[in-house]
Amino acid sequence: MSDASTLAGLLERAAQVPDTGLRLLDRSENASWHSWSEIYHGSLRVAGGLRKIGLRQGDRVSLVFPTGIDFFHAFFGTLLAGGVPVPVYPPVRLGRLAEYHHRTARMFELVRARLILADGRVRRLLGEAVRLAAPPLGCLRLGDLSKDLTADVGLGLGAETLALVQFSSGTTMDPKPVALSNRAILAQVKLLNSFWPALSTESEEEARWRPSGVSWLPLYHDMGLIGCIFTALEIPSVLTLIPPEVFVTRPAVWLRALSKYRATVSPAPNFAYGLCVKKVRDEELQGVDLSSWKVALNGAEPVSPGILRRFLERFSSFGLDPAALTPVYGLAEAALAVSFSDLETPFSSRKFARQALASEGRAQETPEGVELVSVGRPLPEFEIAIRDPEGRAQPEGHTGRLWVRGPSLMEGYLFQPEATRKAVVDGWLDTGDLGFFYQGEFFLTGRAKDMILLRGRNFAPQAIEHSLDQIQGVRTGCTVAVSHMPEGGEQEELILLVETDARASAEERDRLPGLCKKTVLTAVGVLPDQIVLLEPGTLPRTSSGKLRRQEALQLYLTDALEASPPPSPVGLALALGRSSLAMARHKRKPRKVSWEPADEKRAER
Amino acid sequence: MSESKILDGIAQVARQHLEWQGPIERRMRLVEDLELDSMRLFTLAAELENHFRIHLYEEDEMTLETVGDLVDAIGRKLAD
Repeated sequence: MSDASTLAGLLERAAQVPDTGLRLLDRSENASWHSWSEIYHGSLRVAGGLRKIGLRQGDRVSLVFPTGIDFFHAFFGTLLAGGVPVPVYPPVRLGRLAEYHHRTARMFELVRARLILADGRVRRLLGEAVRLAAPPLGCLRLGDLSKDLTADVGLGLGAETLALVQFSSGTTMDPKPVALSNRAILAQVKLLNSFWPALSTESEEEARWRPSGVSWLPLYHDMGLIGCIFTALEIPSVLTLIPPEVFVTRPAVWLRALSKYRATVSPAPNFAYGLCVKKVRDEELQGVDLSSWKVALNGAEPVSPGILRRFLERFSSFGLDPAALTPVYGLAEAALAVSFSDLETPFSSRKFARQALASEGRAQETPEGVELVSVGRPLPEFEIAIRDPEGRAQPEGHTGRLWVRGPSLMEGYLFQPEATRKAVVDGWLDTGDLGFFYQGEFFLTGRAKDMILLRGRNFAPQAIEHSLDQIQGVRTGCTVAVSHMPEGGEQEELILLVETDARASAEERDRLPGLCKKTVLTAVGVLPDQIVLLEPGTLPRTSSGKLRRQEALQLYLTDALEASPPPSPVGLALALGRSSLAMARHKRKPRKVSWEPADEKRAER
Repeated sequence: MSESKILDGIAQVARQHLEWQGPIERRMRLVEDLELDSMRLFTLAAELENHFRIHLYEEDEMTLETVGDLVDAIGRKLAD
């Protein structure tokens, strides 16, 4: 290894710096300390074992580990052996095993994993996925590898080699393996580290603290791995890691760790801030002082201004600095961040007329409009272009598709040249997101791609829609699943627009909302927030008959979703023949069906 | 611990941490009847561990589908 132009090189360099490394908290908040030096030497042993079993340069190794030290030995061991690590998420708890097997096997196959390394407990669950994917070197635990230190490791690395494959748009149907080079990741990490606030020098006591972070984010996600682990490695500094499952059940642990270790930087998606407001009790925060927290990044999901305000209100008495809240924008294909709002000022938001945005693609400020949070300006060396569907640049204040150029773009989707050609054109990445610039700041309005992003997970709308086809009374192939952030809402909501079969009885129609809800929950594990029953022929389609989901959503939100007029005299006669009730409903805006008591709905949030 | 006590414990956890209002019965399915998405399944598993001071291992819990399965699994852990 020659220099710090690779992740493995960064680790070797960090291993020379005393008092830097990872502090892992368990669920009782006991800390275990692992210096970068210890991680480096543990990884060398793993690398030796990997070479011994025949891992070759460029081989993909899928890693299935919970947050813990083994993940790091496996990750850096793979890199030191010349392989390419591909972190994949461990199973969720309680059930859904068949779905997990299917999805995980697909990920193993897409990256043509030569080997799977897994935590001992997880490995026992992977049998079916491993059988389906059949990696040539099998599925091993770290303990299965020999501790041979004589193997030839760490050779053949370079800035242009792949450092990581991470899954993006990780929908059940269509996960995309994003291949990132060492060069891209290091460019991203250096940009981020140049952004953090300088070391506090207010007092000698404080000056002794290195910039430090706290993260509970999963390690198979760019925000956790690149944004937290690799930035800490590059400084090098200390990072305190909390297992995601500890955070989800005890969010106060995050805030206590920020306080105890005087952390300056910690990112999280929107839902996490909401979870803290909802779940953290005062008695859990005795002695907590959040004043060291200078950068509370909020990204990966649409940012809710309401959540930001409530979070601030709730925790300002614990020293939270209003300027800390920093909405950001990024995506896995750009290795993580693309734009940051100003670190020194509180977050900013503006209200725009919904109608002008939806129908004319124009940003027009109005006091009654939909409130959008600014995600700031492009990072240095990054450019954002707003283009119309024909690729023409849009002026400020006009919405369009967001294209990005910068130093940390992916090499492509691994083994998917066609998808890569579509995504990266002349060095510009098509993000699939929609937005606009307004007075120099960037605002996101939605996604051109139909992907649904809920509670930190991505879903293909087709998976949700197909599950509804089996229901009696639903028109097969005539449902749309979309998500959006409601005005004044706290997080994205899942809306199902469902055309009902004209032959469905009144009882069948009454049962539909409940049935749709349970069906979707069973099929994909997420509870829809709203189910809207529509007359046949209401949903907009392309000339080839494909559903236009975003248009359907915009029509619904502006109360313009109505059944098209019956196309023929026969259709007209049929329509006239329907009951007067159906006809009256036909002219009204779509029926919003309340299918759950208010309390239950709150519980879901 | 008796089966009904375990069931009571599950009901208590569901009320407190999942804001579940209705009754809890053995035959109820976790996903379909208790309406638990991934994050809430996760919360339920973790809070049951706290409540009963046990550790459910993934390979056991992944096959659990109903409240009754949970009662039996917790009973086995408590007996160990």
